[in-house]
Amino acid sequence: MSISLLRRLSLALGFSLAASNALAENWPQPDWQSQPRIESPALAELEQYAFPKRDDVERTGVRTDALLVIRDGQIVYERYAEPTTARTAHLTWSMAKSLLATTLGVAYAEGRFKLDAPAAQYYPAMAEHPQIKIGHLLNWASGLAWEEDYEYAPLKSSVVAMLYTRGRTDMAAFTAAHAADAAPGTRFRYSSGDSNVLAAALRGMVGEQAYADYPWTALFEPLGITSATWERDASGTFVASSYAYLSARDLARVGLLMQRGGRWGERQLLPAAWVGFVSTPFAGYQPQLAKSGDAVPGGHWWLNAELPGSTRPWPDAPADTIAALGHWGQGLYVMPQENLLVVRYADDRDGSFQHNDLLKRVRAAFAAEVQP
Amino acid sequence: MIRRHPIRSALVLLLVLLLAWAWPNRAHLAAFPDIIGAYTAKEYCSCRYVSGNPAAYCEGYVAQYVPISSLLDDESAKRVTASGLGRNHSAVWLGERQGCQLLPSK
Repeated sequence: MSISLLRRLSLALGFSLAASNALAENWPQPDWQSQPRIESPALAELEQYAFPKRDDVERTGVRTDALLVIRDGQIVYERYAEPTTARTAHLTWSMAKSLLATTLGVAYAEGRFKLDAPAAQYYPAMAEHPQIKIGHLLNWASGLAWEEDYEYAPLKSSVVAMLYTRGRTDMAAFTAAHAADAAPGTRFRYSSGDSNVLAAALRGMVGEQAYADYPWTALFEPLGITSATWERDASGTFVASSYAYLSARDLARVGLLMQRGGRWGERQLLPAAWVGFVSTPFAGYQPQLAKSGDAVPGGHWWLNAELPGSTRPWPDAPADTIAALGHWGQGLYVMPQENLLVVRYADDRDGSFQHNDLLKRVRAAFAAEVQP
Repeated sequence: MIRRHPIRSALVLLLVLLLAWAWPNRAHLAAFPDIIGAYTAKEYCSCRYVSGNPAAYCEGYVAQYVPISSLLDDESAKRVTASGLGRNHSAVWLGERQGCQLLPSK
């Protein structure tokens, strides 16, 4: 047998193995498949937690708009609260930051940028801050003097000024005009400004021509996402901090991509190195400064990582859980080892909802039985 | 002076402290009244025309602890104008992918 024939045979064998591997997995192509609902005490408890009688007057308590659980690539639970439906493109708030990171992952695969390149290389308005690199921004460690407060401290909030008043025409430029008060890459400070500088840098990476459609061509279309809206500021920059809208089923596609290590069907959309970077805790993060239950920052994703000298933020969820989180209770939780992912849309206006409480109940109801 | 006008002196001191606080915060203070109108116009527009929720739901959804004085939804132009604390702001729906955007303030 000649070597070339041997090589061709082994190649063919390799391909068929890869194909059968992909065939054995469930993918939402074109649509999600659903498993029939099976009643159980654990499911009843999950529903009591996520969908208590909704308080629309005082807006207190847990107020879930959508809850979608996917196991092994199939829907095992799906429920909506009016007026949200399976077709509603719901506001993701800061989950948009993780969508930006995923979009950037495709640009990274295309060789459009380097993590250790200065942001100013792709976004000239950052020239005042030549030491801030793309990787620093992804870790929310730009060192810029940013104040991330919401409606209860609006006067000096950088994010409120950026979205609604002084920053709204050009949010990245507004951020870049902030002074630095720490060396880049040394201090975690959650910042919606960092996200919008990244969104402006994406324009420099892919070019003005491709920019306006890039999230669609790079990410949404390959994943079969059809419901997405991504609002921009008046300068045309995506509001990557806050303003992406997707149906729960479409957001779950991004979750499945992450669950399967950046692979979609047979296509490795995100390089393994990228998925590794975004799911690695920021080295300068100090968990002792965080509030109990605060997830660990990775690369524009949140991690349930167990760091030295600290317990994991959500004790009842696996340590490999990664999440996209947003204001008022938005959450996309990916648990790769359990082949489980959860989308939650909500309108929580107080602190009643706890990630750990939800994930504990989801796992009790849906995690595959552990073999004794 | 302090002994003869204790109340007046205290008020003057208060005013001095207030100004000392306000001056470095002047940019924040000048923009503050704009927040509620801009927030309401933008989030109502997106609630209504991006997410496709009913008008009555969106009115409740955007309500904040600062009241607004008017909310005008021009459905034919998909343009929302909100007034509060004496300032007007408008947001307009631009398209399926672009959603809503605040218009430049006048």
